[in-house]
Amino acid sequence: MKRLMSLLPSLPALPIPWALLSHYRRHPLQLLALATMIVLATMLWTGVNQLTSQARASLEQSEQTVAERQQVVRDNGQALMVEDFVSLRLAGVCVMPWLEVTPASGNRIIGIDPLAAHCFGAGASRGGDQPLDGKPFVDMSTAASAGEAHLYLLTPDSTQDSDLPAAYHLKTFATGPETGELGDSFLLNLEALGVLVLLITALLLRSVYLLGLAQRRDSFALLHRFGVSPGQVQRWLVLEIIALALICVVPGVWLGRWLAAGLGGGFGQALDGLFDIPLYAGHGQGWITPVLVMLTVVVIACLGDLLLLRFRERLSLSVPNQGRLATALLLAGLVMAWLAPSLPWAFVAVALVFAGAAWLTPATVTHFANWRADQSKAPLARWRYRELAVLARRLTLPLVALQFALAMVLAVQALVTTFEDTFDRWLAQRLEAAYYIEVPVGADSRKAADWLTSKQVSNPGMNWHQVIRGSTRMTDKAAASSQQVDVYALAPISTLITGWGLLEAEDHPWEALAGNKGVMINEQLARRQTLGAGDTLQLVLDEQTRDMRILGVYPDYGRPVGEVLMNAEALPENFIARSESFSITPGELGITPVTDGLKRIWSVETLSMRDNSTIRELATGVFDQTFALTRAMTLLTLILAASALLMMGWVFFTTRAWYFRLLVVWGMSQQEVAGQLLRLALALTGGIALLALPLGVWLTWVLVHRINPLAFGWSLPMAVYPTFWLELGALSLAIGLSIAVLMRRQLGKPSVAPVSASALTGGER
Amino acid sequence: MNRYLGFSLGLLLLAGCSGDASEQGFAGLAGLEQSAAGETPYLQPGPGDRLAFPADFGPHPQHRIEWWYLTANLETTDGEPLGVQWTQFRQALQPRVASKPAPDSTAWPLQAAWMAHGAVSWKGKHYFTEKLARGDMGNAGATAVPFQVWLDNWRLQGNANNDRWQLQAAGEGWSYDLMLAIHGEPVGHGNKGFSAKSAGGEGSMYFSLVDIAITGEVVLEGKALEVSGKGWFDREWSSQLLKTGQKGWDWFALHLDSGDKLMAFQLRDDSGSFRSGTWLPAEGDPIPLSSEEVGVKALERRKGVPVRWQLSVPAYQVNLELSAPPGDYLNAGLYPYWESPVEVSGSHSGVGYMELTGYAD
Repeated sequence: MKRLMSLLPSLPALPIPWALLSHYRRHPLQLLALATMIVLATMLWTGVNQLTSQARASLEQSEQTVAERQQVVRDNGQALMVEDFVSLRLAGVCVMPWLEVTPASGNRIIGIDPLAAHCFGAGASRGGDQPLDGKPFVDMSTAASAGEAHLYLLTPDSTQDSDLPAAYHLKTFATGPETGELGDSFLLNLEALGVLVLLITALLLRSVYLLGLAQRRDSFALLHRFGVSPGQVQRWLVLEIIALALICVVPGVWLGRWLAAGLGGGFGQALDGLFDIPLYAGHGQGWITPVLVMLTVVVIACLGDLLLLRFRERLSLSVPNQGRLATALLLAGLVMAWLAPSLPWAFVAVALVFAGAAWLTPATVTHFANWRADQSKAPLARWRYRELAVLARRLTLPLVALQFALAMVLAVQALVTTFEDTFDRWLAQRLEAAYYIEVPVGADSRKAADWLTSKQVSNPGMNWHQVIRGSTRMTDKAAASSQQVDVYALAPISTLITGWGLLEAEDHPWEALAGNKGVMINEQLARRQTLGAGDTLQLVLDEQTRDMRILGVYPDYGRPVGEVLMNAEALPENFIARSESFSITPGELGITPVTDGLKRIWSVETLSMRDNSTIRELATGVFDQTFALTRAMTLLTLILAASALLMMGWVFFTTRAWYFRLLVVWGMSQQEVAGQLLRLALALTGGIALLALPLGVWLTWVLVHRINPLAFGWSLPMAVYPTFWLELGALSLAIGLSIAVLMRRQLGKPSVAPVSASALTGGER
Repeated sequence: MNRYLGFSLGLLLLAGCSGDASEQGFAGLAGLEQSAAGETPYLQPGPGDRLAFPADFGPHPQHRIEWWYLTANLETTDGEPLGVQWTQFRQALQPRVASKPAPDSTAWPLQAAWMAHGAVSWKGKHYFTEKLARGDMGNAGATAVPFQVWLDNWRLQGNANNDRWQLQAAGEGWSYDLMLAIHGEPVGHGNKGFSAKSAGGEGSMYFSLVDIAITGEVVLEGKALEVSGKGWFDREWSSQLLKTGQKGWDWFALHLDSGDKLMAFQLRDDSGSFRSGTWLPAEGDPIPLSSEEVGVKALERRKGVPVRWQLSVPAYQVNLELSAPPGDYLNAGLYPYWESPVEVSGSHSGVGYMELTGYAD
């Protein structure tokens, strides 16, 4: 009656909107909950989306910055001077100076000449058209005055060796390690998870909105009695949710951007450190995209029923048929994921599996609870299971959202850990020694090797090996075909590489390799040719086909080219090396005596050297930050999902408080009732965690073994982390525990009539 | 002179480079920057200044901007007209007294920047290439004696007497190697070489070689063409030519079949145009033309660019119609402008070149 009175006065003036809004006047917390959920959901998705797009932009820029280019060098290995630049330009060769200076105090700076870069055309954007408003790119004159400088002369990819004057030749130029497809793959997965976050967001919004609608059914019924048609009410509801979305989405987007900026700052700094350039794109997406996306999501999530009403009416299926359809979707998704020929199919498969899981999960819990209730003899247990069945039916959406969130967190954790591990090993493989020193063209690498061997005798901490890279052909006698493979030859087989983890190997593989008793192949070659340790492959060396025993298979971390790792002693004298270098960890000796010695031996003034320890340190910093960022975002998703469930659970339990109090009427103490509720809440959230587990593992598998190979043609190793499962399980139980604690407090308050509960969707006995 | 625009905009690169983005109005030439006490100032040409040879063939490092500009109306052995342009600009970022030695190149100094444009127009096709270089490095520069102007592998070089020049340049799909026979003395425009560019007195030092016989080879898309014809060479330098508000430039240099020659230009702004020119009769001294003596009118446009003009100098019974051949002759460099050969009809017949800026938008 009181409700009726509160509605009546406003009807004559502004009947429908005020009558609808009066609900929120009486239940401001519901409005607050809905608004908060829209804000939080918007913040979450905007933040994740912003970070993902910024991370992609940053990595793309970094890739571009460190991408391999071409440079012109002197045949005699001498350092390039201004005169070289001038003579090359006068000869019509397009060269751009790149002056690297590391001042005594401060970071590395790079001097470039935008005028000289003009001849690069569009490609000049790699450096020449950079806005020269900060480090590391400065004008040549600034760099030249900053300290001892090293001049490189970059040339476009179109320049050929034949274009150069005598005494010069072309050489590759790279300023850092390329993450290549590894970084792309990580970002693709991150984006796939971003879509999932959007889905979770929609589910949460819908659950809160439907709860609000259920709580307003009395109001709607009353309006209907006053002659307001359901269609009118629906139209006003559409306007209401759009208005609410407009009000809440904007602060949500702002908060999301703020969150991304806060979390991304560290990421950006790490990238800055790596490349000495402000790479982190602080200007992610603008406002319009997230606002429009979130408005659409809010409207669809909340008004989907209205929009699809006719469709739903036509599609009305019986419960068993719904179950069959859900199972069919799930199975179809699973099969499709297995057989998906392309990325879109894989994504459709994921969507089908999630749709099926969303439909089946509450039904499964309900069926299980009813079955257990039928099996139980104890009345309390029967009550508890029946109540669990009701809860599972009525909390469908927040439960599914929590399940998805748990599955996603599980997948992200496995993915991030896998990538982290892979990055570590990738770095270890590519940067196995502290320094790389290239053998100048025409220089005698044997003399250097002899000298290093003698140095190693007096410096046991020193470690080194020579690397010869080239290519050859691998024949398949059976198929009468051959294919080109990269050759990665080492001598001696030092401890710098014997620490590599091998996917499969014969006994003592490194000793056998050192004894030139076989070769190792990379994962990619092993997969393509279905080769393994103990098999034999035929390599064409010195125009003769030689049988080589495969001693082991090493992981390639996304390297798409087949590669054979062999002892350099096995190479014929006339093998054409693409490059020769020494990987050296000097130990206590320090690198300066080593470089001085090599300069003397090779009679050159400068050496092309790379300090791997710095690169490794910086690269590790970047990736650590990226992973930390990803984990932070998934944790936030989980917290939001848990909060939604907590809120929904609490509201829903409250509506059933009258029934719970009947337990007291039946003679149980408050303590015992609280205990029953605790078991109920824990069963609910624990059950969801259990159901999230297979979904999460499956999602990990799809990301690592299906989406990645489809996108990039290679696969990462997949690992599972049961300890983390337990942590997630504990978190789910903590949510249940929180609901139980809240309910216990609720039970202590005065009782309300069950009529209010009946008005809600929880009105089942 | 459009060239000013192209050049100054090309130097936007340098603005980033040097960190002192200049706010220099039109063509970067709107106002003289005040030199701090003790710093070398830019020199500004005035009506009393005189030309000096051969020194003025060389660079003027204390002036802000200058160029060497050759246009040529040539013919292939089949009688097909073929147009050639070569231009090299120097823009000072920091003025330097001419007698002072150039800075050490190992410091990668940034006192000046150079830009070169090369173009060939033939059968409606227009080939254009742009090159840029930092000054004082060695790969771009100019000297008066021996006369040479170069940027990378493009080079204009004179002999000991400076009456035979060789010009070599190449871009994508084109190259030329031309021999230039220089006849006659340099012609100073305006007031004995000082050419006013506005009623306010801003101007430049400007002289031309107007009688150049050219022979040589042009290679287009791998096809070598023997060419011959006549050329027009301009030298101009200043520190302040144009004023803010001037929108563009229309310049014409014509070889009339009567043996007369005509150079005329107009600078367009909101309040009208400032015109000037030089009438070079076949016999007799050059005659400077004032703004009132020259009539310039656009008759027809192609994609917004006037391609047919009426040019008149009533005092000398000159009433010409100038037409660009079919085709697009936009030099699509850092700042696009139109540079095309023209055919002359009306009171006189002949050939020439025209250069139009400020229509690219």
